[in-house]
Amino acid sequence: MAVETAQAWIDEFRRATDEDEEIQAHGKFYSCSFLLDMEEHEVQVFMHRGKVEEVLVDPGPLDERYQFALRARAETWRKFAEETPEPMYHGIWSASFQKDLSLEGDLLVLMQNLRCFTRQFELLRKTGVPV
Amino acid sequence: MANFSPVTGRYVTIDVMGDECKVFFLENGEGQPLVCQHTAGCHNHQWRDLLEDEEITKNYRVIAYDLARHGKSDPPKNKEWWKEEYKLTADYYTEFITAFCDALELEAPIFMGSSFGGNVALQLALRHPDRFGGVIPVEAADYSPGFFLDWWQHPHANAAQVCASGVWDLMAPQSPDEDRWATWFYYTQGSEAFKGDLYFYSVDHDLRGKLDQIDTEKCPVVMMTGDYDYLTTPEDGQRTAKQIKGAEFIEMNGIGHFPMSENYPLFKEYLEQALQKIESKAGARTA
Repeated sequence: MAVETAQAWIDEFRRATDEDEEIQAHGKFYSCSFLLDMEEHEVQVFMHRGKVEEVLVDPGPLDERYQFALRARAETWRKFAEETPEPMYHGIWSASFQKDLSLEGDLLVLMQNLRCFTRQFELLRKTGVPV
Repeated sequence: MANFSPVTGRYVTIDVMGDECKVFFLENGEGQPLVCQHTAGCHNHQWRDLLEDEEITKNYRVIAYDLARHGKSDPPKNKEWWKEEYKLTADYYTEFITAFCDALELEAPIFMGSSFGGNVALQLALRHPDRFGGVIPVEAADYSPGFFLDWWQHPHANAAQVCASGVWDLMAPQSPDEDRWATWFYYTQGSEAFKGDLYFYSVDHDLRGKLDQIDTEKCPVVMMTGDYDYLTTPEDGQRTAKQIKGAEFIEMNGIGHFPMSENYPLFKEYLEQALQKIESKAGARTA
């Protein structure tokens, strides 16, 4: 992925999150870090009080400070990002129960932030994915 | 003039294996009783649109109750329920439903439930085929493991939000926002019962190897499953229905695990098919 392409996606993802009414209404304590492993690229997101603090694309080994991770094939991520995903690609629960998405790391952090994370995950349907 | 709904609510007290249960139910309509069970950790508002549907209620007496510990039905009044872990069993659940139907003196009611209500519909068809005019198991299967999880009651997370957002993508993304969010809202209210309900759903309910004992001549079975349901998929529903001689299966497209609540107009199209199938089977029996 070209640097400018990655930056454009980061900018869009940040804007979509920081301007999202739902996350901003309920994200006062939405602070955590997670890794989205999209096979061809990894994206590391740091959230702070409902806002995107930092996004790293393909972080180096010493950058890995995330609390939980979502890992799936690139094709799965592309299906997540469709405007109306087909059955079983419409959420992290459905894809982990029925498809190749794996949820790893400290899942308690995911559960603690589940409402806002679920919304932010669905924003990928608007922003697309960088794979 | 006040804008009253035709739906009315009442309480009835029943005995369930020694438990004194004061049960809240909503009802509307006249005709054959159609008794509706909500999903795990939820309450009878999931049936809100069916209860007010004039086309259905002109022919059916729609009754939607809250299972004990849900909605406006309190936990048993005569026991120290707070001193034990709640784990719903098939024995208790089926006793509750038959006691409720007996208390209301219902004749040949059709029983319809979704998810853990769909699974108990299969249990009723197996255990009490003479007491029901048919069952409509929605989002049901012979066996549905994997959802009896500690996350639903983990003290370090917001249980209301974990339950509600945890079932969010059991619904289809194209279902209307207002209905998906109403369903989400109901789920924030039931976290204390959700996990115990799922003990029945994922552990105690296991009809593998027993489905051939269901007699659809006595109690017709019409199963329905939405294609966005990741817990009990259409393949699970079809597999289950195939093992019940005479059962029918309807796949619902573009809808998920809470069809009556997440997108009633779409669900209704399939429900009418199911009711017609049960009517024709009942007609064939009496002819």
